[in-house]
Order: sequence, then C-alpha cells, then structure tokens
Amino acid sequence: MINLEPQALIQFRTEIRYFFIICCLNIVFAALMTAAGVIYLIAAVVGLPTGLNTSLVRIFIGAVALVCFGLGIQWLLATLRIFHGVQSVRDRLASEFTAIQNDRITCLIVQQLAHYRDNRLTIAKMIRVCTFGGVCFLGLGIGTSLEFFSLSSGSIAFTLNNLLVIPAMLLSLGIGLASLLSSYYFSRFAHVWDRRLHEIDESECALKKTLGLEDP
Amino acid sequence: MSGRRTVYEIYWEILVYCKTPRSFTAIINRCDLNSKLGQEYLEFLVAREYLTIIRDNEKTRYGSTPKAAEYVALFSSLYQKLFDAAPGFRL
Repeated sequence: MINLEPQALIQFRTEIRYFFIICCLNIVFAALMTAAGVIYLIAAVVGLPTGLNTSLVRIFIGAVALVCFGLGIQWLLATLRIFHGVQSVRDRLASEFTAIQNDRITCLIVQQLAHYRDNRLTIAKMIRVCTFGGVCFLGLGIGTSLEFFSLSSGSIAFTLNNLLVIPAMLLSLGIGLASLLSSYYFSRFAHVWDRRLHEIDESECALKKTLGLEDP
Repeated sequence: MSGRRTVYEIYWEILVYCKTPRSFTAIINRCDLNSKLGQEYLEFLVAREYLTIIRDNEKTRYGSTPKAAEYVALFSSLYQKLFDAAPGFRL
C-alpha cells in the first residue's frame, strides 16, 4: 500500500540514492587522496638532496603532501560515519519498496533526519576538509610539474616538465576537482536538510496543538 | 530507532509501535529510550488518552487509542510534505 504522495516518495528515494552515491565517491577519492599523499610524501623525501632550489620546492610539496595525507584520513573517517547511516536508510527503502507503508516511509524520513542531526557537525567538517584538500591537491598537481623554481628579489623563474609528470599531475588535479565537487554537493545537501529541520521546528506548533501542549 | 530525535518524533514512534499493544520493555527497546525517560513519555501519552493501558493477567501492555490516529496522521503529513519539493539543485 503506497499512501505517500508520489512526488515525495520519489524525491526522498532520489535524494537518498544521490547522497549514497556521493558518499561512495567520497570514500574512493578519500582513499586515493590518502594514498597519493603518501606517494608524494615519499617522492618528496627521496628527491630531497638534488640542489637548493629543487629541495625547497620538494620540501614544500612534502609538507603539502603530509597535509593531504592527514586530510585524506579525516575525510575517509568522516565519510564512513555518514555512509553507514545513509546506507541503512537506502537498504531499507530498497528492500521494502514493493510493500512500503505510509508509517514506514515516515519512519525512514525520521531516521534520516535523526542521522543528519547526529552528523551535522561532521558534514560541516567534511565540507571544509574536502575544500581544503581539493585546493591542496590542485597545488600538488601544479607543484609536481615544476622541474626548476627560482625566486629572487626581482624575478621568478621556473621550468615545467610536462612529459614526466603528466600522469601524476592529472591524478592530483582529478582528486582536487573531485574534492571540490564533493564539497559543493555536500554543502548543497546540508543546506537543504538544514532548511527541512527549520521547517520541522516551525511545524512543531501544529503538533503541540494536537497534543494539547499549547502555551496559554 | 536511535539518533537525536525531537520529543514529537519519539511520541510518534511510540504511538505507531503501539498500534499493536506492547510491553514497556519492548517500547523502550524499540524506541531506544532509557526507562526513566520511557516512563515519562508513556505517562504523558496515557494522560492525554493517546495510549491505553491493557492489563492481561499480570502483564501490562500499552496500546494506541483511536485518538492517536489524528496525531500520527498529522505528523506523517508534515514530515512527508518536506519532500514534496525538489532540493533546488540539479541531482
């Protein structure tokens, strides 16, 4: 028996599905970010004794890689926490869809809202981590293509080695862009869910009235 | 169900669960409440006649009354209305 307005049911299922996909992509890219952070860190450390200018660039890349590694771990843990809750709602929705009842759908909505309330700060943190990580990886993508870099009072000189570092650069840029995209979608979802929580606060007056808890 | 819920969500969950009469233990387990808080919620709902106490031999169970249907219906319609509109960005 489906008592839910079709649009609401479709909307809920679509949002959960997309949120789940974004979470999955986040896990993949967070793992990639962590792994790439380690690779860049090792590459930076191994390539240290190659000259003063190059060493400075490599120290900088190594530091950024270390930050990316830390952010990747944080990103992964935060995503996993959110992923479990969304997966639970998605699985229940998928398994019960043929015989879904009005109360059951409301129950899943309440469960999703409770999950969001629990993880609101985590999602906000993840948005910041994604954005910062994305910027770091964009920097790494550009930094790894530097063959020579020189900075003096009147000039900046650098040469790029495109052929050797194109794959690594593309990987970094790809992860960086994926991070920024994740951050964008998470912030949009967070905005919508925040608005819904606000609507719930407003609709509590009606529930209060029904329960006879109105203020005199 | 666990997680951070409003008091109205907990009332709703209790009333829906008690459509079939349930024991106190079953209710607090299902709704993830401690016994003190569970007792308070149940007393409130009984006082408002949304729940009725059913005594069967030595067992005490709680069941939703017809009056509870009004609250459950209003709650469902309000929460499902949240998803009537698209989120405002392309998915």
